[in-house]
Parts: sequence; structure tokens; C-alpha cells
Amino acid sequence: MIAQTRAELLKLRSTRTTVGLVLGMLALVTLFGLLAGLLTHADDLITPENQRGLFGVGSLAGVFSALAGVLLVTGEYRFGTIRPTFLFTPRRSRVILAKLAAGMLAGLVFGVAGEGLAFAIGYVCLRARGIPLTLHGGSLALLLLGTVAGVALFGGIGAGVASIVRNQIGTIVGLLAWGFIVENLLFAFVPSVGRLTPGQAQNALTGLTTDHLLSPAAGGAVLVAWVAALALAGLALTARRDVG
Amino acid sequence: MAVVLGEGLTKRFGKLTAVEDLSFALEAGTITGFLGPNGAGKTTTLRMLLGLAAPTSGSALIFDRPYAQLAGAARRVGAVLEATDFHPGRSGRDHLRTLSWAAELPDSRVDEVLGLVELTAAARRRVKGYSLGMRQRLGLASALLGDPELLVLDEPANGLDPEGVRWLRDFLRAFASDGRTVLVSSHVLAEVAQTVDQVLIVNKGRLVVETSLEQLTARVGGSVRVRSPQSDRLAEALRREGIETTVGNDRALLAHGATSQRVGEVAFAAGVPVYELVAEGSSLEDVFLELTTETAS
Repeated sequence: MIAQTRAELLKLRSTRTTVGLVLGMLALVTLFGLLAGLLTHADDLITPENQRGLFGVGSLAGVFSALAGVLLVTGEYRFGTIRPTFLFTPRRSRVILAKLAAGMLAGLVFGVAGEGLAFAIGYVCLRARGIPLTLHGGSLALLLLGTVAGVALFGGIGAGVASIVRNQIGTIVGLLAWGFIVENLLFAFVPSVGRLTPGQAQNALTGLTTDHLLSPAAGGAVLVAWVAALALAGLALTARRDVG
Repeated sequence: MAVVLGEGLTKRFGKLTAVEDLSFALEAGTITGFLGPNGAGKTTTLRMLLGLAAPTSGSALIFDRPYAQLAGAARRVGAVLEATDFHPGRSGRDHLRTLSWAAELPDSRVDEVLGLVELTAAARRRVKGYSLGMRQRLGLASALLGDPELLVLDEPANGLDPEGVRWLRDFLRAFASDGRTVLVSSHVLAEVAQTVDQVLIVNKGRLVVETSLEQLTARVGGSVRVRSPQSDRLAEALRREGIETTVGNDRALLAHGATSQRVGEVAFAAGVPVYELVAEGSSLEDVFLELTTETAS
């Protein structure tokens, strides 16, 4: 299992696509971090809520970590490397579990890099503008750790959905539509259901206290449950389907 | 003990039957050519043998087990199904490492097989820039990583230049001379005729013949090709004289085991006009074509 996971991580590291994902993530976090840190009025940026928003920009990395998880699976079907992969590891469950693990490990790296950068940019902006840090101790720690954990779990969600769908374009379009449209509509109109979606669960995990959101612990549990459910479905389908 | 054993292998895709009731056994130390026209069901059969597709019925065993239950599969079986199964942006060496790491083989083995297929110089280049022949060799390298006892190759000669085909032939010979086993598919008999010990010929998903190459060669005999506007009457007349005929791929009759003189006399006696009458010693290729067109008609 460890050997297979190392192999899956090598698959990610050995193409330029992953480099592109990391650079894109860092660029986007930098852009949104600077926008929030420099353009927000000083009177607004002094509130803990707005400082949450500033430091929480690293959660953007979740999109990229999910994409990395997706590519780990769909890239293999797209280029046919799934055949040698299964020939070398005929136990397909081992391959899928390793991909989920590799997706989350890559997600952890994305999370640490993205959230670390977001915090650094936010902190420098506050210092440069002489704005005191009002988001303190526990809240700040929960924000940083919750964001990193959420981004890491999104790698697993990406790999899980991809092992169900298999098609690259379909998976990516589906995930983006779900994340940016369906989740927001659900949360706006049926919050009791919408708060159970992965995106809102991640918001809860980072300590956001918007109305209807779950507690941080419950948010984390829901996110883990999503990864587990998608993994089980992916494992069951992968075991049953022929490889073309 | 058979290294590879197919028993009543059948695969249906909806209404289409790709492989029907295929049974065969491969012994250790042999090279078997798995032959048939394109679309005959060769690749589907190989996919079932290698656990990539589940048979609709029947079973496929490799070393007495279904491939999916074979412990240390990569060290026992090496296989290549498609020459294009690479991520174009990954280097050849990294492609092999993603596989060798999963099988817990050392990187030194990766460099060994790269040397073996003469790809060392291109190893760190992205596969995108490889020729088809180089990709074939990279695929072969991946199959050899685990130093397997059984090699399964689907159309490995596609895209190879004559020198490459010759290299492959020598390689497979050397591989099998150690008591190891090879199953190699092809739609061109000539590609493998000089390499294989036995042939499995399939057509339309069914096994047409399983025989040694020697026995197949023994089938090669003289025949007479005769073209007539009244083929059916001529065939009937020849049959009454104890001369067997088959319809060749150009729709002419092939009369077996008879001289052209005898065929001409029978045609004359039957009052059937003859446009063409040629005695020909058939080649192995003719036997192959005959076997795969007989069942088609």
C-alpha cells in the first residue's frame, strides 16, 4: 500500500501539469490575498471577521487539490496508463485507495503552501498598514488548521469522484458546477441540506460561524464522511467495470 | 501444468459476441502466436486473460489462478496491450518508475530494461517525442521490469521497421529458450511465422485451429486455382471426383490435392467454362487466409 502510494505520488510529480496546478494555486492565492489585504478599507480590515476572510484565502487551494486528485485517476484512463497500472497491481482496490491517499497527501502540501502563503501575505499587509491583528489565538489556529485539513480532504474528494466518473472533462466540469453553483444554491435555499455539502462543511471546519453552518467538529466529520462515501462508491465501481 | 489456460472463454458486449467458447492451453517454454484478422477477438481475449475484462462465461487462468489473484503478478507476468499507453508529458524513465515503484522493484532494474530495449539515450525525454517504434520498445521494457516467466504482447510488431521486427524475433527466441513462455498476437502471420512454435488462430471470436507450426506447414500443399462463371457446378463436379475445393479470398475455387490437368478434364467433362486455371503451391499465408475466410463464409 505504501509502495503503491509512493508510485501514485510519483505520477503526480513527474508531469508538468502538477507544476502548473501548484503555480496556478500560488498565483491565485497571491492575487486574492493582495486584493483583500490592500483594497479592504482599514476600518473594515480591523474586524476579526474580515481578517478571517483575509487569512482564509488559502482555501482556494482546495480547488487545485481536488483537481490534482481528479487527474490522478482520469489521467490514467485518458492516456491508457490505467492498463499497465492494473497489470502491475491487479488488486484494483489497492490502486484506488493509494490514489485517494496520494490525493490527500498532495492536498496536504497544497493546503500548507496555499494557506501558509495566504497567512504570510495577510500578515505583511496588516503590518505594513499598521492594522493590529484582532483575530486571535484559537480562532486563528482553527482557521489555519481547518483550511489545511479541508484542502487536504478535497484531494480525496477529487480522486473519489474521478474514480466514479473516470472521464476527465466530465469530472472537472461536474465538480466545478457542483462547487460553484449547486452548493451555493442549496445553501441559500435549503440550508439544512446545503450545510452538509463538502464546501460548506469545509467552511464550518475552518470556524466560520455563518447562520446554519455546522460546528467545526461536525463540519470536519461531514467532510471525512464525503471522502469515505465517494471512496466506497469508487472502489465498488472500479472492481466491477471492465477496463477498455 | 499449463502456464495459460482458457476454458470456454466467452465475452459478449450487449448483442455482440466478441469471443465465443475459446479454450486453449499454453505450455511453459513455448512461443505461441495468437493469430486472426483485426476484430477477431484477440485483444478481448488477452484482456480477459490479464484480468482487465471479466468473461461473460468461462474462465482464464494464469499459473493456475485468475490473474487478479496472482500474488506478485508483475514478477510473474509481463504484458503490453497498447503501444500508446503512456502519459505524453512523462519521461520514459519516469513511466517505468511509476510501475516499478508499485511493484517494489529497484530503480536499477528500470535502467537495466531501458538498456535492454536500447532506450537509454532517450530515457529522460518526454514520451511525446518518441516514435512509434520507441513506444513499442518502452512498452516492452515495462513488461520486462519484473523479469517475468510469461510475456503477453498484443501486436508488438506494429510500427516496427524490419530491423525492429528482427530484433523482436531474436529477443523472443532468447526469452523462450530459458524455459519462459510467450503469447504474442498478430494479424499478420508472416510477422510471427519465423518465431512461434504453435499457433492459435481465431476468427469472429471463435478458435479456428490450435496447432503446432509444423502441422500448419504440413497443410501447405499444392492446389489449383480455377476461376469459372459456374463455380458451384464445377465444385460439385470436382467433389464427385473426390477433389475437395474451397473458395479462395478472390472468389476463385481452390481445388486441393489435384493437378491442373485433372481439374481441366473434370471441367471439360462437366461442360463448365473455365477462365483461369493455375497450379499453385500455397504458402503459409494462404493457409492462414484460407482458415480465416472459410469460417467467414
